[in-house]
Amino acid sequence: MDITDTPQQQEPPASINTTREATVNFSGETKEFFGIWIVNLLLTIVTLGIYSAWAKVRTQQYFYGNTSIEGHAFSYLAQPLQILKGRILAVILFATYSLTLQFAPLVGIGIFIIMLFLIPWILNQSLRFNLRMSSYRNVRFSFKGNYGDAFVYWILLPIASIFTMYLMMPWAMKKGDEYVYNNINYGDKALETKIDTGQYYETVLWIFLVSIGLMFGVVAIALILGGFSSLMNFQAADSSGMGVGIGISIVTGVFYVFSISVLSAIYRARIRNHILNNSEFDGLATFKSKVEVTPFAILMFTNIVALIFTAGLAYPWMKVRTARFLAQATTVVINNDSDDVLDAMSESQSAFGEEAAEVFDVDIALT
Amino acid sequence: MIQTIKGQYYYPKSSKSACSQLVISDSSVNLLVEGQSDQITHHDELQWRPNIAGVAIEVDFTDGGKFIATDRHQRLHQTHSRLETFEKNRPLILASVFLVPFLMWFILTVAMPKLAEESVVLIPQSVPNQMGEQSFQIIEELFLSPSELPAQRQEAVKAQWESALTQLSLPTAHFKLHVYDSEYFGPNAFALPNGTVVITDDLINKLDDNPDAILAVLLHEIGHVELKHSLRIVAQSISNTLAIAVIFGDVEGMGEAILGTGSSLVLNSFSRDMESEADDYALAKLVMLGKSPTAFSDAMKVFLDLKSAHEQGDLLKYLSSHPEIKERIKKAEEFGL
Repeated sequence: MDITDTPQQQEPPASINTTREATVNFSGETKEFFGIWIVNLLLTIVTLGIYSAWAKVRTQQYFYGNTSIEGHAFSYLAQPLQILKGRILAVILFATYSLTLQFAPLVGIGIFIIMLFLIPWILNQSLRFNLRMSSYRNVRFSFKGNYGDAFVYWILLPIASIFTMYLMMPWAMKKGDEYVYNNINYGDKALETKIDTGQYYETVLWIFLVSIGLMFGVVAIALILGGFSSLMNFQAADSSGMGVGIGISIVTGVFYVFSISVLSAIYRARIRNHILNNSEFDGLATFKSKVEVTPFAILMFTNIVALIFTAGLAYPWMKVRTARFLAQATTVVINNDSDDVLDAMSESQSAFGEEAAEVFDVDIALT
Repeated sequence: MIQTIKGQYYYPKSSKSACSQLVISDSSVNLLVEGQSDQITHHDELQWRPNIAGVAIEVDFTDGGKFIATDRHQRLHQTHSRLETFEKNRPLILASVFLVPFLMWFILTVAMPKLAEESVVLIPQSVPNQMGEQSFQIIEELFLSPSELPAQRQEAVKAQWESALTQLSLPTAHFKLHVYDSEYFGPNAFALPNGTVVITDDLINKLDDNPDAILAVLLHEIGHVELKHSLRIVAQSISNTLAIAVIFGDVEGMGEAILGTGSSLVLNSFSRDMESEADDYALAKLVMLGKSPTAFSDAMKVFLDLKSAHEQGDLLKYLSSHPEIKERIKKAEEFGL
């Protein structure tokens, strides 16, 4: 990669170091994104949902444009009309599915089977679209997964693992991740991800052990509360009994949110680190991910608590701090000797050519 | 007026880039790479990204080249984006903080139920008929077993049902009563949109000495069918899900779970309203049949005994799909006073 012209990087002596490290930088700010988010929500509501496509593009552009490596920002290239088209398709699909399921439950079972076959295609389509609409240094990403593999890894293996009492599940999840990452390209460079099944089993084992620990926690809390409520004479006094009932619901809720945060932090941190630490864009770059479980769990827990106490208004704060947290934990190791990456897209590189996209070349999703 | 923007120029179809400057005048845009003029273009040959607060200016050239500004806050003097102005406008942001929740509340609790109520009238009768028949097949297979009550007992309930239908001039061919034993439902009764009404052995046993109370329960179920409640709840739950998904599309993870909770609270309140409507229907028909509305409160008292351990006041009632039983009893006792 040509680095002589990068704005923030001094050229290292090429003869000694063959690689250089760059951190991922996120420059978004809560205050800025809050305005974008809430005003876009208002516009979406008053346009009866149509503006949601524009809102999506602007939000994506905000996060891509504020994420940079070596001073080069990412770009999100999708046009709002493409997003709108995908959303209309998704609404039609969802409405057909749920109306059939409700009005003709027996036919609904057939529809459910059709959906099983449709889902891999939709998810492939979505990955393909989203990666192709992402660019870094004017070079696009791409996804080249095929339907057959998607069906095996997303439908067949998960269903098969149900019949092995989920013992096969960590392996199935590893195969699914392998399928996604090994089909990602950056320009003409393919991503190669060599991950280890053992890491997935180890992670699931950790989750299992921590869950047992949390269950002991529940029992301890229940005992304390049980003692407390019998002191309050729970059965006799109706009003205080109700107070204790609500108290118990709140404690249970907090504990539930805490458990979810801890368990998902374990999985997401360990698997993200493992995948990124073992991925390489052919001769161009490798990654270092150092997400630590405890800070990540605290981040997720405080995110949810803030969301609940602000009735959702903390959402922009949550998005921005999470993006910053993940960026700070990520380093890219770039090969100094590698040549320029060439854009491998066959069609016009510029956004002008987008109108030519075929009808189903969209992200069929409501998100 | 001439304006200069510093940034990076990216060559077409490659990751190669160069420190550069865009020199913008009224008539043209000059791209300078390392101080040398690289290309001069007209404004209409460039595609400028719509401005977003805090996102650097980005320009696409027709040949596939791209320019991204270094300072993410710098803007062109001549152009100003109305959307960006909105997104930075403090009074509008503050207004949105109040308007968004208010409009969501309005859409979900006022507009959608109204829309559901109006639209179900347009659905042909064949749809609820089929919906009821197919649901009944599945429910019967999974949760119901043949009644263990003596035939004579079942006949008595059905005879009372038939005569009530006739007196109220409701179509006896449309409404069919079935008696089933069900461990799953316990003492209960339910109606399907095609007019099929099911009452369980347990409920008949509980109300053994009070035929009018059984009738009150059955009238409540007929109320659900006559007022097309199943169709309305289906229409509303689908449209609410879609509205939330489209409006809050980008919200993921726990945010999504919170939205889901909010949405089910709204649906529960809708369901409580429909239960009240069915109660009113039953009370009015009891009076028409010359029965006392207290027959309904007698039936409700059975559920009160069953549920007394779970019934909670105030806060927890929002989590329930049915109105509080004590309120339903009170309403029946005060009916027509």
